[in-house]
Amino acid sequence: MTAAPATLRVNGATVALTPVPDDERLLDTLRWRLGLLGTKEGCRTGDCGACTVLVDGRSTLACLTLTHEIPGTEVLTIEAAGVDPDLERARAAFARASALQCGYCTPGFVLALTGMLKERGRDAPADELLDALQGNLCRCTGYAAIARAVAALRAEAP
Amino acid sequence: MSVSFRPDAAAKLAGAAQYGTDLAAPGMLWGALVGAPVAHGRLRAVDLAPARALPGVVAVGSAELDALIPGGGRDADRPLFAVREIAYRNQPVAAVAAPTLAAARRAAAAVRVEVEGAPAVVDLETIFPEWPGSGAAGSPHVIAHVRARHGDVAAELRRAEHVVEETYRTPSVHQVALEPHACLATVGDGIWHVATSTQSPFGVREDVSSLLGIPEASIVVEGTWVGGGFGGKGSSLLEPFALLLARAAGRPVRLALDYRSEFELGRTTLPSVIRLTTGVTDGAIVARRVRLLLDVGSSLPGRDFATGYSIGFLLGPYRTPAFEVEGYGIRTNKPPFGPHRAPFAPQCVFAVESHLNEVARVAGLDPVEFKARHLWKEDDATPLGQRVLAFGLPAALEHARAVARRWRAEAAPGEGVGIGLGFWSTSTGAGGEVRLLLTPEAVTVEQGEREIGSGSVLRGLAAVAERALGLPADRIRIAYADTARAPFDSGVYGSRTTGALGRAILEAAESLQATLAKRIAGEGPVTLVVRDGELVVARAGRSSPVRELLRPDEVERGIVAAGRHYGRGGSIDEARVVDGTFYPYTDFTGAAHVAWVAVDPETGAVRVRRYAAFHDAGTVIDPATARAQIEGGIAMGLGIALTEEAIWSEDGRLTNPHLLDYRIPTLGEVPIPEVTFVEGFPGAGPFGAKGLGEPPIIPVPATVAAAVREASGAHVTELPLTPERVARALKLL
Amino acid sequence: MTPFSLVAPASVDEAVAALRSDAAAGILAGGTDLLLDLDEGRTRAERLVSLRRLPWRTLDWTGEALAIGSTLPLRELEDDPDVRRRLPGLWQAVRAVGSVALRHRATIGGNLGRAAPASDLIPVLLTLDAEIELVGPAGTRTLPVDRFVLASRRTALGPAELIRSVRIPAARASAYRWQRVRPANDISQLAVAVARVAADGGWRVAVGGIPPRATLLPDVAEALGRGRPTDAALRAAADRASRDVALVADRRASEEYRRRLVGTLLRRAVADGLGGGGPA
Repeated sequence: MTAAPATLRVNGATVALTPVPDDERLLDTLRWRLGLLGTKEGCRTGDCGACTVLVDGRSTLACLTLTHEIPGTEVLTIEAAGVDPDLERARAAFARASALQCGYCTPGFVLALTGMLKERGRDAPADELLDALQGNLCRCTGYAAIARAVAALRAEAP
Repeated sequence: MSVSFRPDAAAKLAGAAQYGTDLAAPGMLWGALVGAPVAHGRLRAVDLAPARALPGVVAVGSAELDALIPGGGRDADRPLFAVREIAYRNQPVAAVAAPTLAAARRAAAAVRVEVEGAPAVVDLETIFPEWPGSGAAGSPHVIAHVRARHGDVAAELRRAEHVVEETYRTPSVHQVALEPHACLATVGDGIWHVATSTQSPFGVREDVSSLLGIPEASIVVEGTWVGGGFGGKGSSLLEPFALLLARAAGRPVRLALDYRSEFELGRTTLPSVIRLTTGVTDGAIVARRVRLLLDVGSSLPGRDFATGYSIGFLLGPYRTPAFEVEGYGIRTNKPPFGPHRAPFAPQCVFAVESHLNEVARVAGLDPVEFKARHLWKEDDATPLGQRVLAFGLPAALEHARAVARRWRAEAAPGEGVGIGLGFWSTSTGAGGEVRLLLTPEAVTVEQGEREIGSGSVLRGLAAVAERALGLPADRIRIAYADTARAPFDSGVYGSRTTGALGRAILEAAESLQATLAKRIAGEGPVTLVVRDGELVVARAGRSSPVRELLRPDEVERGIVAAGRHYGRGGSIDEARVVDGTFYPYTDFTGAAHVAWVAVDPETGAVRVRRYAAFHDAGTVIDPATARAQIEGGIAMGLGIALTEEAIWSEDGRLTNPHLLDYRIPTLGEVPIPEVTFVEGFPGAGPFGAKGLGEPPIIPVPATVAAAVREASGAHVTELPLTPERVARALKLL
Repeated sequence: MTPFSLVAPASVDEAVAALRSDAAAGILAGGTDLLLDLDEGRTRAERLVSLRRLPWRTLDWTGEALAIGSTLPLRELEDDPDVRRRLPGLWQAVRAVGSVALRHRATIGGNLGRAAPASDLIPVLLTLDAEIELVGPAGTRTLPVDRFVLASRRTALGPAELIRSVRIPAARASAYRWQRVRPANDISQLAVAVARVAADGGWRVAVGGIPPRATLLPDVAEALGRGRPTDAALRAAADRASRDVALVADRRASEEYRRRLVGTLLRRAVADGLGGGGPA
């Protein structure tokens, strides 16, 4: 196995990484190399969505993405503060609706919703926004508060 | 950040909340467990040398225990590692740690484990092919036996106008907290310190003490944010191994499960077979016989709680003049049975509610009317002779019937509306204590738990303190501390937290008021108010800022008041108990649920269109948090009802240890439920509160099954109601 | 998981050369299936050749024909309004794969190359008479999808060969129907794809969701006749399907249940397939 330096933009800042092993997942790079522990590790098999981040604005499962496969891209995680208006919108919607309990799935949900706001726009039909969250599992809320968060977001759309 | 009723929203939405899986320390090693390669057999040898030959690897097995913990008296009944007999597949036989996770995994794989495999004992119905019951008594596989009776069941059943006998089957289900178990251990200066994602820091301390043979005074457990518990994080799992590795390595060791291991090692609800026989005469239940075979995995004799607790639910909250219940806890080659939100109650309630629907059909009665006529009321006696306390389930049922009538009028062909009833009792656990600290700015609640997500700590306890002291939310703080500093509490389980610790807060609040009364002149009650931004003590026209009442030694922490609550229980008529332990209820809580489902007549697929829940939660302490508990519990119950089952192969392997084939509900399958509280039936908690963590999950499988039956005629007697099972019940196959 | 190294060739020639130099190398497209299998030890490779730098993230309509570059993420296929309108069966099948986030990385080439027995795309591609364009040491060649996917996890891909594109000769009215224990994010217990050939109104029918691979059912298609089938033809086709298809039991469904589903899903897919799609 080999390792090479990698460059990403993470939450608006350029990050030059010391040699990253070829088989390293974006999830591990974010969590253990960059200390961005807000991106959660759940199943690591692509089934729970807890590790969802944005890569160039598109929701992406960080557990099934090799860091070296996305050189030069723009990665957005839950730690980004004030960098991305769609993320702030999604975050505020979750806060207002108290759409979280244990909070472990929350970063993945917020990023998946953020990605959908970018893909489809804020005036997209609610079912399309919810469709983006179908791959995110939540065991605490029963999704009710999450659906309310999405509905409230829509209600505010201009 | 926008306003949320959850004080943890800001941290969790910023990715700043630290969970067990986020734990790390400078110089730490990564741990991994070495598991038994078979589910049953003899452990011949464990050779750690090949692992130790790898760079930076530390390895420990049972042979190292004495050297690492000299003189430690370890629990001989509950060895940390498998010693001679292998009880379940992946049972830890050794543990390793290395500088990276990959290196730890390689080291774990390098450990040579020699076993002599034996046929695994896995399936209840293979053990007892002549079920029900014959051969169970006296079987070496039975590790627990409970039996209770009242009246002459045999004679009543002989005389009964209708007798219905049915067998129900329920599978193993998993908690699926999204955060797998994880901890970080550090050993030094005589202190065994472990940070961990747990529902019970003090429970972990006790476990570690007994498993490793270390005095509790030398152990410090520090809780993290918990990424879901649901019963699965109620006692120690990884902590003793991590501590042992840290001791051996002289460095911090992080040990976390990957999700596959989370499924394979997690302690949870295991399969059951339930036989119910009910006799009815003139529309009244005259007798019930219950036989339960409950798989308790590799639980140890004397440690089976589930069989005796759950069997009471198989009589239902219904008056039953004569009964006989008998339950067997059956040992199999699976991990030990462990609690899963309302342990085994949803399964029992599914069986008994579905059975009563069938009994009503046979007797030509309306099932809901039939149940309503038998439902306990306050001051009735339970079958075990306990007096029923304030109980809102009859009132909840009336609400449910009204909704069901409306929905039925709207339902299309192929759709059906069902009602299910469940009852529960708030646990008090081993009790708990709190301290209130009054400073000029706020009152801080010092307590020993961490918030697992339900809100019972950070909203439940805060709301009790707000109400007890008459202060606004922003003047109440919840403090978290490790077991060395926090007051004792037995854990966040059994729907007990707000109830038990809330009672302790009431006691502490009274004590605080008594202290303040001594420091301010005048007569009458003492109250705290906020004036000009600071806390002021007021009494009959007089007042004094808290800051002026502090003694010199109180300037640092504030005025301290302690409170404790070591529960109360009712009592049962022990004369009705023949064998084993049965448990009384602390209080009586319950819920009536209504489901509106559509059943695909060709495929058997079930879709839940609408759902309503009416809950007796006693006095609702914090409505938003309470509602959120119910919404989440219903979704979890829908999983048990429709899709979730952990499937064990004949050789004791879990065949679906991942979230693709172990199917928890996703957003699209769960309707937003309509939630209503039925108040006026106070419980044992503060201000008459009743626990609410577990009740919402309990009636769900029964409710869905009732709706499926109404929609399609399918009478399904095995969970979950997958499309294929419904199709079979519809005789499509 | 064993560690692996990664190369990302900048051209097709380099990619082919990289694969020639290491016959055991794995081919990495989106990685959503391969990385999982590597983790679980179901696949072993010490080296992965990534296709990310190859210019194959394309989608080209030429009249009624569609060429899909093999590394096109499924989400982009799904978002093409013409795919949705003119190849509704393909659109439905793409939507059946994983979640939105997964489809942002999963590719059509990866889905074919990995040849999962329960692939949602293969049954539909069979009914669309899709052809797989391969490129390798001996140049390019084209295989019908039926001859490309051989069995569970086995394809006709030769040494050092790569999937370059998937070609669908013509837009077709089509539909894809599946049954799962859990509607979202699950593997289909059984799936039926149908498509109507514009030229003669005849049908193509394929069944998927059962090992070892999805299969075309020409006799069932024949029984449907041409154009809108009569009730009798539909019954005959459904009977034929549940009789003919080689079904197996696995942990997702019994053989009997699958047999029951074949006819039901066929009738529903045909009803749906009559509804729309095909030439603009």
